Amino acid sequence: MERDSMSNRPLGILVVGAGAIADLHVAAVAADPRCVLAGFADVNADRARTAAHRNGGVFWTADLAEALARPDVDACIICTPNDTHEDLALRVAEAGKHLLLEKPLATTVEGADAIVEAFARRGLVLAVAHSHRFYDYGRTVHDEIASGAVGRPTLVRLALLGGWIWPDWRAWVIDPARSGGHALHNGVHLLDLVTWWIGSRPVSVYARGQRRTATELDVHDYLEMVVRYDDGAVAICEMSRAHRPTALAHRDVVVQGTGGLLTLAWDGEGALLWDEKGAHTLDPGVAYGFAAQLGAWLDAVTAGDAGTSVSGEEAAMAVALGVAAERSMALGVPVEVQ
Amino acid sequence: MRTLGVLLAGSAGVGHQDHQAEMYAPGFAAHPGFGIVGATEDGSGFDRADVDVVSVCVPFERRVEVVTAALRAGKHVLVDKPVALTSAECAEIAAVAAETGLVCLPAYHQRFHPAIRTAREAVAAGRVGLTWNVQADFLVAGGGPVWPYGELLNFAPYATDAVHAITGLPVTAVYALARPAEGPDDLVTLCLTHERGMTSTVVAGRTPPIAGVNGLSLHRYRVSGSHGTLLADATRPGVTVRGEKGTRTAWAGHGTVHRMLTELHAAVTDGRPAELGPTDALAALLLVEAARESIATGRVVRLGDDEQTKARVS
Ligand SMILES: NC(=O)c1ccc[n+]([C@@H]2O[C@H](COP(=O)([O-])OP(=O)(O)OC[C@H]3O[C@@H](n4cnc5c(N)ncnc54)[C@H](O)[C@@H]3O)[C@@H](O)[C@H]2O)c1
Repeated sequence: MERDSMSNRPLGILVVGAGAIADLHVAAVAADPRCVLAGFADVNADRARTAAHRNGGVFWTADLAEALARPDVDACIICTPNDTHEDLALRVAEAGKHLLLEKPLATTVEGADAIVEAFARRGLVLAVAHSHRFYDYGRTVHDEIASGAVGRPTLVRLALLGGWIWPDWRAWVIDPARSGGHALHNGVHLLDLVTWWIGSRPVSVYARGQRRTATELDVHDYLEMVVRYDDGAVAICEMSRAHRPTALAHRDVVVQGTGGLLTLAWDGEGALLWDEKGAHTLDPGVAYGFAAQLGAWLDAVTAGDAGTSVSGEEAAMAVALGVAAERSMALGVPVEVQ
Repeated sequence: MRTLGVLLAGSAGVGHQDHQAEMYAPGFAAHPGFGIVGATEDGSGFDRADVDVVSVCVPFERRVEVVTAALRAGKHVLVDKPVALTSAECAEIAAVAAETGLVCLPAYHQRFHPAIRTAREAVAAGRVGLTWNVQADFLVAGGGPVWPYGELLNFAPYATDAVHAITGLPVTAVYALARPAEGPDDLVTLCLTHERGMTSTVVAGRTPPIAGVNGLSLHRYRVSGSHGTLLADATRPGVTVRGEKGTRTAWAGHGTVHRMLTELHAAVTDGRPAELGPTDALAALLLVEAARESIATGRVVRLGDDEQTKARVS
């Protein structure tokens, strides 16, 4: 950490996994003067090469060890499938680099704990990309609750509903062995966000899942996850890729507290479009959230200010909740959070 | 329109409530199909020839006695909700109503709200396809607490009845969460499984008062189906009027009690069962009892497959 703040050289960032979400991280890196893109590592050499060419001909490799050995790599952003997070994160820690890791932190509670421990032991900064915390809506709700505007939350509803986005049966996302199941894949976004909003300790999860798009799915495309907290608060989290029409992008937030009610209407961002295909809410995009998320991690890396970045411990709690939700769905009963 | 004579019986309810004076008497008085012909506290007058309908709000200890006496005297009945405090009592009422063939309408008037009617008709017309999920919120801000009965008994059945009216799918299992209900802050979360695998999550109860909100702060239903998604907000329709003294909404249409009385009138004059009857009230109470058990044990409780439930329903 000292080395980074004492030299004037911007932090060199290696992106591991040059797939869909990597582009958003790369755009954020390009926009922050405190860091510079050092290269790409992807087991798929074509992807690494293409991404490198598209980004000014930076270094690329299919061999992570080679990339981690480079002196211009100070930190990594891992954007690979969920089941690879544990192994890759431990290698990054071993190499002494800071890490911004895509969610979920890991697909098991043990894996999550091992990663958190590895970074803590070496004094390295680990942040996890729970990007909804950095979107304006997520921060607005958090800040209203934190200001005491609604008292202590007793009931929270968060629904993120959209249509089918998974390309075909080969997608790793719908293979529970690779993604951890939908509760760990997308569910963790909601589980983390509501827990951050409520600010108390989750004690149990009752989750129900459905397979609406195809009964042959191995993951649930619709999740209804109800979390109980130690102060009696209840959070209802719905995550869906099952809703129709597929163009639906519906977000709903309710926070009932001991001192008031907060609601965020489905058209709360204020822009609606009607066209030949129907009515659509206009999404302001997620780019600003990724920039804020990167900025929070860099604050922690360069200035030791853990401020708003999502810590490994918090992300490990989201994993524990996701694991409990998957177990609850498998058993059909409420499950205690580990 | 034939005018039906109404006898008002009793003025008790859950906790502080007096629905007879606040809702039903004014509702009957304003409805062209009814005329109030008298009132009784002790359940007398059921033999009067000018009485067609008895509006029952007697204390719970006397519900079964008074409702069944009215039915046996050949009168149709509107009965305040909850119909009784236990499913066993409600089953007795249901049995007598079935025997007499008369209309016995439990006053779950919220299902007659225009937003819920529209949702129900759209679903029945296949506009969302086969339903697989409902989310419902029924939150009332302020007002006196109904402790020790609790909002699980008082408000939650409005919402679960509306879900039933919209989808027609009975509940098969419940997992319920509640905080200790001793003050005005009394919310329950009901995670329901219905026939055909449909699920629903229903939040109902009372919250601390909110400035500018008189009654329901949230009352809405989201219905998801194989071919579409429907949002019904029962705090609308309304024009919003903002002025120096604050904000209020208004709408010229009839309220839910009036619409419920229209159904009562049609059922009586057409000689058909009302769309809502004692078996619906029984289903609501069995759900309340199962939810209580779930809250006490922390477990998922199944409905309709234990001996006790069978005994009650048969
Ligand atoms: N925060 C968000 O909103 C958000 C959104 C989408 C995805 N994600 C997360 O981002 C990650 C990546 O998702 P994606 O949609 O970009 O996936 P993707 O399949 O598009 O890309 C993954 C890339 O990783 C590479 N890869 C696989 N195994 C590797 C390994 N062992 N070493 C190096 N590279 C490897 C693949 O070749 C591929 O190029 C996942 O963890 C996912 O959960 C987060």
